[in-house]
Amino acid sequence: MFCLITLIVFSILGIFSASHRQLSKKAFDCVFKRITLRPCDTGFDKKIKGKIIGKILTKSTKLARGVYLFWEPISWVLVILMFVSLFFGAQTAYKFTRYQIEVYVNAQECASNSEDCGTVDPCNC
Amino acid sequence: MQTKHHGKPIIYLDNACQTLRPWPVINAVTDYYQNYSACGGRSIHRLGEKVTQKCEDARMAVARLINTKRKEEIIFTRNTTEGINLVAKSLGLKQGDAVLTTDKEHNSNLIPWQIAAEKFGIIHKIVPSQKDNTFNLEKFKELMEDLQDKIKLVSVVDTSNLDGVTNPVQEITKIAHQYGAKVLLDAAQAVPHRKIDVSKLDVDFLAFSGHKMLGPSGIGVLYGKYRLLEEMEPFMTGGETVEYSTYEGHKLLPPPGKFEAGLQDYAGIIGLGEAVKYLGKIGFKNIAEQDYKLNKFITEQIVEIPKLKVIGPLDPALRSGIISFYMEGIESHEIALMLDETNNIMIRSGQHCVHSWFTSRGIQGSARVSLYFYNTMEEAQVFIESLKRISKLV
Repeated sequence: MFCLITLIVFSILGIFSASHRQLSKKAFDCVFKRITLRPCDTGFDKKIKGKIIGKILTKSTKLARGVYLFWEPISWVLVILMFVSLFFGAQTAYKFTRYQIEVYVNAQECASNSEDCGTVDPCNC
Repeated sequence: MQTKHHGKPIIYLDNACQTLRPWPVINAVTDYYQNYSACGGRSIHRLGEKVTQKCEDARMAVARLINTKRKEEIIFTRNTTEGINLVAKSLGLKQGDAVLTTDKEHNSNLIPWQIAAEKFGIIHKIVPSQKDNTFNLEKFKELMEDLQDKIKLVSVVDTSNLDGVTNPVQEITKIAHQYGAKVLLDAAQAVPHRKIDVSKLDVDFLAFSGHKMLGPSGIGVLYGKYRLLEEMEPFMTGGETVEYSTYEGHKLLPPPGKFEAGLQDYAGIIGLGEAVKYLGKIGFKNIAEQDYKLNKFITEQIVEIPKLKVIGPLDPALRSGIISFYMEGIESHEIALMLDETNNIMIRSGQHCVHSWFTSRGIQGSARVSLYFYNTMEEAQVFIESLKRISKLV
């Protein structure tokens, strides 16, 4: 499931770089196969795995072994963490946007009637 | 190789796929494109004449390399695959004719015969190897005896790209000729590594590729005995294959002309000629010695790695410059990727276009190290250390 992370990362990078668009397409093909319960036969998942473990191997053989043996569970943990981060990130962005709007609206009302100026906590934060 | 990655040089161990090119070959190709990039064999101006001469010089060099009786027995192709397909399509095989190959053939020397069997009804039989992947001469003789009157062609690999094992081609040719069959050798892995003498071997056809012997990619050679080539119809015709044509007919050129249709890869031919000269300077004795020395050094060390299995005989003397292996618990592609990532080591992984061998044995694939004379002991040592580290992952 590491392809899911690479899909999101390369899709974002693909906004700025053509080579990452190609990679995001390969990641998409892989993810699509996995979510339709088929094995990913594009080789993309193996390439990513080989590259990452190869990089770790140059630093520590023990760590590389751990990552290699538990690749799938680690991938799932990272995917879940990614979605959790995305959720909280989206929630924060929503609350911040609401706060900004409430502050703006409050400032407008304050300008027309000074008695309404006061401390406002629109989001009950 | 000029390229470095993260400050480290590339260690190129994929020579069975294609070799690196020395400066004289690169310069010869560049010289053609920069200084006399014209059509050979057609244009009568001085540049055209120069190209024609250079190409004929290259043909002569190749003819001397494999000791043919005449240079007209050398046909320039794109690669070994095209050479084998040319024979498959032009030899005139018909329904009921039998062709024999081994169980370790590259797809280039398997698929054409399977298609011929489907389309023209030829009989295609396969000689199984021994347990250690060496040629089974007894089985071969049995099959030849069974096919007696029907056997028309024995098409075998000289040196396998899978495991580096060389077949006893002289013996095979002798037996084949006793039954009146012709012999075609896939010599793609043989010609770059040792002296091949087609006159001594008495083979009828031999195909090899320029890109596996320091030459440019896109150029290959098919050798054929002249009297056989004379009788064969070309499978591709057009410009440069005819003496003349009218609206009603044409007259084909004699070999090799009738087989070299269209504008040729002049840069490739000239580069190949230069590659042959370069190989002559290095010397096949030195090439074979270096192949053996490196293969022995690597084999002795990697057989100690647990869960690693070498394909073919363990004796490096029987495996040219090739070491094919697989490891339990790690896929061959992962091994190749990790070697690349850790130390810029380039090897091949997968089924090496010999899918049939792997699928029949239920083996997913192998990693293949293929050496050449410019590889060094230091490179071999780095490869061994990297592989040992990777083996610790399982």
